[in-house]
Amino acid sequence: MDKKVAIAGYRMKGACDLITTRERLTFELTRGLFDDLGIDRHYVDTVIFSTNDFLDGRTISNVFLDPPAGAYLKDESKVEMDGLNALMYAFMRIQSGEYESALLVALSLCGYQVSPYLYIEYTLNPAYDRQLGLLNELSAAGLQAQSFLSKYGYSEDLIDEIAAQNLRNAALNPDQARGMNDASGKDVKQSPYLYEPLRELHTYPATDGGCAVLLVSEDKAGELTDKPVWVLGMGQSIETYYLGERGLYESRSTREAAERAYRMAGIDDPKRKVDFAEVSSLFAPQEPILCEALGLYDPGGAAAAYGGDNDISGSLPINPSGGPLGAHPICATGLFRLNEAVKQLRGEAGKNQVKKAEVAVVHAQDGVCAQQNAVVVLGT
Amino acid sequence: MRNVGIIGIGYTPVFVSKRKDVNIPEMISEAVENCYANTGLAPKDVDAMVFGNMHTFEGVNMPHLWAADHIAALGKPVMRIATGGSTGMSAIHAAYYHIASGMHDVVMVVCFEKQSEGDSQVGLMGIVTPELMAMLQAGIDVSGSSGMGAIAGGSAGAIAFQACSYLARSGAGIEHIDGMAALERRNAAKNPYAHLKDANATAATIAETPLISYPIRFGHICPTSDGATVAILASEEKAAKLVDEVAWIHGIANCASDASAGNILEGVITDPAEQMPCQIAAKQAYKRAGIEDPKKEIDYVEIYNGFAHQTLMFLEKLGMCEVGEAHKLLDAGDLEINGRCPVNASGGVVSTNAIGTSAMNRVTECALQILGRAGEHQVEKDVHKALAHGWGGLMQYVTVTILADAPQKS
Amino acid sequence: MEETRIVNATWDVSTFKYRIEGVGLRRMLSGMKDAKLIGVKCPECTTVYLPGSFYCRKCHIAIDEAVEVSDHGEVMTYTIGYADVRGNPLDEPRVSPMVKFDGCDTWIMGVLQGVKPEDVHVGMRVKIAWAEDRTGSLQDMMYFVPE
Repeated sequence: MDKKVAIAGYRMKGACDLITTRERLTFELTRGLFDDLGIDRHYVDTVIFSTNDFLDGRTISNVFLDPPAGAYLKDESKVEMDGLNALMYAFMRIQSGEYESALLVALSLCGYQVSPYLYIEYTLNPAYDRQLGLLNELSAAGLQAQSFLSKYGYSEDLIDEIAAQNLRNAALNPDQARGMNDASGKDVKQSPYLYEPLRELHTYPATDGGCAVLLVSEDKAGELTDKPVWVLGMGQSIETYYLGERGLYESRSTREAAERAYRMAGIDDPKRKVDFAEVSSLFAPQEPILCEALGLYDPGGAAAAYGGDNDISGSLPINPSGGPLGAHPICATGLFRLNEAVKQLRGEAGKNQVKKAEVAVVHAQDGVCAQQNAVVVLGT
Repeated sequence: MRNVGIIGIGYTPVFVSKRKDVNIPEMISEAVENCYANTGLAPKDVDAMVFGNMHTFEGVNMPHLWAADHIAALGKPVMRIATGGSTGMSAIHAAYYHIASGMHDVVMVVCFEKQSEGDSQVGLMGIVTPELMAMLQAGIDVSGSSGMGAIAGGSAGAIAFQACSYLARSGAGIEHIDGMAALERRNAAKNPYAHLKDANATAATIAETPLISYPIRFGHICPTSDGATVAILASEEKAAKLVDEVAWIHGIANCASDASAGNILEGVITDPAEQMPCQIAAKQAYKRAGIEDPKKEIDYVEIYNGFAHQTLMFLEKLGMCEVGEAHKLLDAGDLEINGRCPVNASGGVVSTNAIGTSAMNRVTECALQILGRAGEHQVEKDVHKALAHGWGGLMQYVTVTILADAPQKS
Repeated sequence: MEETRIVNATWDVSTFKYRIEGVGLRRMLSGMKDAKLIGVKCPECTTVYLPGSFYCRKCHIAIDEAVEVSDHGEVMTYTIGYADVRGNPLDEPRVSPMVKFDGCDTWIMGVLQGVKPEDVHVGMRVKIAWAEDRTGSLQDMMYFVPE
């Protein structure tokens, strides 16, 4: 890597029902971020959006978002996937030497749609899966949950506890849309099954929201912040579309993406070198699958890990922020995980603060049961 | 900064109104296989992929997920880019940065559109569906294409405002738009991959087509096509190992202004014919490519022209001729395949429009001209440097790519 | 040649509940009954937006200053429609200009009446033919006539 790239700042907003428009949210996030950093739109060299036409209900969904983002007459583009991929693109733009700063804008207003699950449903094969009507985002998550439990012989108590941990953490976090104080596995078990063994409280809430993040080259980082957070590594991968050909109890593409990210960051032993992880587990049962693929514990090691060691005060906290069970603004979720990691690395995470925060791994997903995954390693 | 070049190109065998014989992943895989076949490369040679299309036209969200198995993408990093009409070139640009950053060495770009599987009007109107609905609910009389169509970006009405403004300010007449459309349809007849071909097209035959919304005639308008385009980009070092001939990328740029729709809910602050983003992106690309006098240094141009007047308009905004001069070049025969300043020998977007590929095809066609591989639509003059232009959004995104037959010296 | 099957499927997008910016439009509508055009001005670059905007596109700041804009202006571009969206011919060609009203920086679309299509040209001066019974909606200002 020729030049280091840092995150200089971010602004995020997520809630279950924001009374706002996409333009106004975009303006608020970007104007707010510029004000925080003492700059204006002219400081920004390039802008990368992450929005999705199916969510926004309009074609070329960022067409009216350029001016409110301050991108008027600027070089901008759009990555139509989770926003963590927009970060990867922006990183490459800065690394090319053509740009010194890049603004990321990712958002969605779920309130526009009848259901956020339609987002994944529209990725389904129109000539087959959509005709059969058996598969949707939730039934797929149910399948994945069952696959995981059967593979390792766990009981549902484990996934109830995972959900409870996230909901407890989310309750402490002012940036989350939903949380449950002192949630226990028992509380989670009270919630109804959506697709057994997947329960309502295992599942992310429909969320409106978005974020703006500013990346800068190392030459510029000093003028904007005392606490730059460096992008040390990144990787991305994709696996087969056909659920029947995947082992849903593992996440092969997350493992590949993580290997690429760790290699770039010079990390050979993630269990020891990574201090905490922010993972886009949209469903509680997905979390141990993703964390195992991130190399944070061995296959089948979930029960031990969730025996107390990966909570906020543990040795390898997972989703100290509360993760997507607290908010899932589609397209922005991976960047929300990033922002939460930035908070930790800066020591600004308040009640969610973990003890040791120098190296973090951040994960984002796209597709049914995380068919495609992106991993970023951050450090102080 | 690393030099990046195009080392391979692939197309689906045809670009037509309806490919009934293949589904989306099958159609895309044709172009991928074609590219591997004619470059002698294999999936193991490709480090990463960039994928682009406008998915509301087919009704499949993020179709790279579905197509992954069919295009040898499994296990690779895949990035999805979508920016409206300029998608294809935005995808090329993303691949360029993948390599120029040093993060990857060989990147495949895959773009497609299979508009026959959806409703193109829904896709196009969808740019402003909420505004349209708001107007209808506010009781605005939107019957008649000049009301309804005018609001929908990309369909004839809104573009008509741009064309009319262009004519008024450049001194060109509707007959020049007729002539430009005819020229491109004649060129398309020489391109095996073009959709609307007419070797006998003339300004007069185009003028016989009905006026949709003054000054746009039916004959000025692009088709909707099913097709896919693939390109492989590589770093200079890898290119040398993998192929003998490369079309080098010297400078790229993109610019976005506000959405110039003219819908009643958002007043337009820019003349849709002024195309500031085009002027800005062109200057930026020329600067990066070390080009000081594009009129002299650029040998060939491919312009994104969903509507025939846009070839003339963008030639001026790209600085390839003075404002008000483009129609004179047309009259003098300079823009023909055997002319002094050949443009759109491929037939342009007005002859072939699978939206996700349209801006990318401008780049691949420039590359083919540089490599001398354009077959029957190869231009007469030697092409050392070429300019590819892409356009999208609601009349407000412009992408520019400058290609050359030798790597850029730093 | 392999067999393929055509599957007809409806993509049911469901209903979207769009939220759109109402502030600028409300401001403009508030002037309709009094036959006034009310826009919003950016104090920094003095750009006047009609309908008003809650922010300035060039300066990227929040704006709120109401200004009155003349109902006379210049045709910046126009089109003439001959058929509706379904292709059914209109009884009469319909002229749709985009007009830059004096004192305003944005162009507004409407319908031009009282002039033959062949006489319409870029640069001609027009004014709003305010509806006689104004209801405070955009219909009040839809029609323009030569000045």
